[in-house]
Amino acid sequence: MSRLRLTRRHFLVGGAAFGVAARPRPGRAQSRAPAAGGQLIAGLSERMLTLDPANHYSISSTSVLRHVYDPLLDVTNDDRFVPALAESWKALNNTTWRFTLRKGVRFHDGTPFTADSVLFTLKRVRDNTKLIKSFVYQDIDDVRKDDDFTVTVTTKRPFGSLPAHLTMLGMLPPAAGAHEEAFFTKPVGTGPFRFLSWTHGDHVELEANARYWRPSIPKVDKLTVRFIPELSTRAAALRAGEIHVIDRVWPDMVATLKATAGIKVLDTPAVEAQRWHFQLAREAGKDPRVRKAVSLAIDRNTIIKELLLGYARPVVSPIPPGLIGHTTLGQKPYDPDRARAILKQAGFQNLTLDFVLMKDLYPKQLEIAQAVAAMLGDVGIKVNIRNLEIATAREQRTAGNYDLFYSGWAHMPHDPDWYFGQWFTRAGAEKMTRFNDPRVEQLIAEGRVPDPKVRQQKYEEIQKILWEDEPEIWPYYSVAIYAISDRLRNFEARRDYYVLLHEVGIA
Amino acid sequence: MRRLPRHPMIVVGGLILIAIVAASAAAPWLAPADPVKPSFAQRLTPPRGLGGAAAHPLGTDNLGRDILARVLYGGRLSLALAAGAVVLAGGVGVVLGLLAGLAGGRVDDLLMRLADVQLAFPVIMLAIAIVAVVGTSPAALVGVLAVSGWVLYARTVRAAVLTIRETEYVEAARTLGAGNVRLVTRHILPNTLAPILVLCSSQFATMVLLESGLSFLGLGLQPPQPSWGLMLAEGRDYLSNAWWLATMPGIAISLVVLGANLLGDGLRDLLDPRLRD
Amino acid sequence: MRAYLLRRLWQSAVTLVGVSILVFVILRVVPGDPAKMLLPEGAPPSAVEELNRHLGLREPLWVQYEIFLRSVVRGDFGQSFQYRAPALRVVIERVPATIALAVAAMALTVVVGVSLGVLTAVRQGTPWDYGGTVLAVLGQSLPNFWLGIMLVLLFGVTLRWLPTSGFGGWASLVLPSVTLAAFPTALVARLTRASLLEILGQEYIRTGRAKGLGERRVVLRHALRNATIPLLTVLGLQIGTLLGGAVITESIFAWPGMGKLVVDAIFFRDFPVVQTILILSATIFVVINLLVDLLYTVLDPRIRYG
Repeated sequence: MSRLRLTRRHFLVGGAAFGVAARPRPGRAQSRAPAAGGQLIAGLSERMLTLDPANHYSISSTSVLRHVYDPLLDVTNDDRFVPALAESWKALNNTTWRFTLRKGVRFHDGTPFTADSVLFTLKRVRDNTKLIKSFVYQDIDDVRKDDDFTVTVTTKRPFGSLPAHLTMLGMLPPAAGAHEEAFFTKPVGTGPFRFLSWTHGDHVELEANARYWRPSIPKVDKLTVRFIPELSTRAAALRAGEIHVIDRVWPDMVATLKATAGIKVLDTPAVEAQRWHFQLAREAGKDPRVRKAVSLAIDRNTIIKELLLGYARPVVSPIPPGLIGHTTLGQKPYDPDRARAILKQAGFQNLTLDFVLMKDLYPKQLEIAQAVAAMLGDVGIKVNIRNLEIATAREQRTAGNYDLFYSGWAHMPHDPDWYFGQWFTRAGAEKMTRFNDPRVEQLIAEGRVPDPKVRQQKYEEIQKILWEDEPEIWPYYSVAIYAISDRLRNFEARRDYYVLLHEVGIA
Repeated sequence: MRRLPRHPMIVVGGLILIAIVAASAAAPWLAPADPVKPSFAQRLTPPRGLGGAAAHPLGTDNLGRDILARVLYGGRLSLALAAGAVVLAGGVGVVLGLLAGLAGGRVDDLLMRLADVQLAFPVIMLAIAIVAVVGTSPAALVGVLAVSGWVLYARTVRAAVLTIRETEYVEAARTLGAGNVRLVTRHILPNTLAPILVLCSSQFATMVLLESGLSFLGLGLQPPQPSWGLMLAEGRDYLSNAWWLATMPGIAISLVVLGANLLGDGLRDLLDPRLRD
Repeated sequence: MRAYLLRRLWQSAVTLVGVSILVFVILRVVPGDPAKMLLPEGAPPSAVEELNRHLGLREPLWVQYEIFLRSVVRGDFGQSFQYRAPALRVVIERVPATIALAVAAMALTVVVGVSLGVLTAVRQGTPWDYGGTVLAVLGQSLPNFWLGIMLVLLFGVTLRWLPTSGFGGWASLVLPSVTLAAFPTALVARLTRASLLEILGQEYIRTGRAKGLGERRVVLRHALRNATIPLLTVLGLQIGTLLGGAVITESIFAWPGMGKLVVDAIFFRDFPVVQTILILSATIFVVINLLVDLLYTVLDPRIRYG
């Protein structure tokens, strides 16, 4: 009995959200009337795995932890970098950055935010190689405190994407170093919400930080984030008025949600491009003519229109709009006749391709893969769909046991250097696609400098090469769909899949 | 044979099963359309009578494929897989259960501890391990399904054997010189028939549903070949706006279960020695 | 009997050790790299190696096992790879929800299943029997997720009588336990019916009837008790299944149970959590099967163990 009563607290907390809509449930006691702020409940599709901003690379965790910790800078939905804990930053030369910090900010435990924080956070992520983000920061040479509110970072090689990476790294109080494990059971940040509790894999509870450095933020008293991987469950909870916002809605669910009273559906093109990469060491992937034929045989517009119900955009360059490097290279044509001709000419009459998918990674991936299999079948290519669980799929990829691999790339951080470095350098692609092109490699290195004009030019050149060479198929840019209660004010449908709620209020 | 008309359940159950098997076997002639080829313009049309066209009596799925065709063709694979798994699991389970119950002592302990060890492993883990070794294939899937199911039979049969082993009836038969095999076939097996038949007919649905779960997770059958399990898995995401995708194969499964249940219960009535007079 | 008990206890210990070794080995031999699951897709191979080393996965297998055994004895089941928190704590967090659901589903199974079985057996051949058969068929063949989602849509979204998901009080227990109990209830109903029908035809029942006892008492006293053995077998196995195999129900209802935890952990290659749960579940199965075997002897004095 006592066990259930313990968790009745969860129910009480959830109960407050019903508020106006539903009738009161028996046994629910409200200790006080909801204040003007109220309580916001979000239902996210991906579980948060850690409370340590340096120890994960997940979009969902970044989004949740953003409420507890502030990074040095933020990225807005229109792709600008704006100050957060750093009032300004500047690249002094190719390998030096200077950050000027905001004054008067305090951590949730009252201690002041100063340069010591930045030093601790950056050095920690670089030196503790157990941390997931550590390998990204290995290029940092030194972090120097010029005064209490100025920090200089020197890097071993040009690190133009440093600001982008820093938007994902929450600042920690230096005191955390003394007892890290204990700290992360009840962490303290400078963010708009304070941490209350976390039940692994189920939900996390936060309450407003009344002394946040931005005035009138946050707009609610409490924030509960529930992790609900099952879309139908998320949608049902929203429709029943139990939660206020859900992410990762599928196109087919939109009509049902729109038809429900009290719900609004919002969508926006995402900074994500789907990419199906070839295994360049295998017979099929090695031959550019085969790759071209496959590309010509795929009817991207039908996929976008019929299967994704218009919730996708045609690709004009591998890097989606909004990121540095985006350019317009035209749209890939759909020409099955030409595809057949190329295959015949190249002598690939009875080609069989293994199309590997990682289970549950992308909406409707199995459906789209089957459609593609039919399209390729039309030009004489037999496709074996292999929908595998993630870990096995990754091993198969490393071993090179696939011809086409279904994947996508959401640009987090908002910087294409990450994407290029991981997939189009020899080192990065060695255990994956086996891509190896010295021209591209050179351009990627040159694109690492902080100067945005130089980077844009280098990235355009890279993409021209890739567009022609087609080591990957880019079928469409994704569209991020969210659904919210119409009582919410100020919710912004973000292009990077983050669900940020500090400016959101409940009417 | 003369007794059959007195056992309508066997007849009805048997007829239902035969009808379904026959329909699946005759899929190429009965199916209104190709079960595999997508038709994007006709996605998610409802069944005839609920807004759909006559061309697709049970509606179309998320790729515009005819559902009736997929149910018919899917039946071949699902029926074969589930039947194979039930036979394998049942066969192995009954044999091991008999062994454990009759032999007792060390053999019983060993087998039951083996069962305990295996029960601790979730099916998914077994599936991943087996798939890692032999790859995904219908045969591997049958293996996984059978491995997940034998313990139920074994323990049930063992319990029945333990109950019967010491009865005077059996003692009498033994003193009269009946060897073990005769004991088993004449006295013990018929008395364990009731639960076994019930289990077999119940397990059929379990096997199809298990196949569905495994295929959905990438550990079973791969699309686009239709199977009831895969149809269920793919229909799951459309339950709130196109319920017929998952419901149609569900109805097919229910019919098979109904037939199997009736047949199982009827056979038990027929063959149970205690009810014979 | 005492000798038997001791023997069983000794075997249980051996079984558990066997399970732990088997889990350990299978996890490390099956393809799938925990470091790769944690790190982003294109992290350099050096980072992958480094993380694997930190996780202790580069030691020889027997060294890893030895370290594992020594810490288990101290109550430390290692750090969850996913959550970076003690695996035991992560697992135990799930216990209340798991037990609540299992108990509720088991209660439904026994009460509804047995009642249905008795009803259809006693009223064999009548519409009650046919109706009961239909229910049993539906219970066995309706996919878990179908039932769950439909119940949620009806009672949660449309009528708003019950919560759609989550673990938070009595009301939230209703739909998941009904969903989870559907199959076992049907199975129990059929088994009860089959066993009862057998026994109802037997000699001594007829004798009992001749003595003038009310038919109902005859049924309940003699028949049910002897039908319990196969029932108990199935229930024993179902308990274990309910505890670890409720993953689909838990997914549909966002129920923080162990079924989903173990499946997620397997897919994520979170070795410590998988090991902890499997050892725990092996213990539970061993205990349950021991209890069931002991209960056999109580219920049917003819059963003896050699």
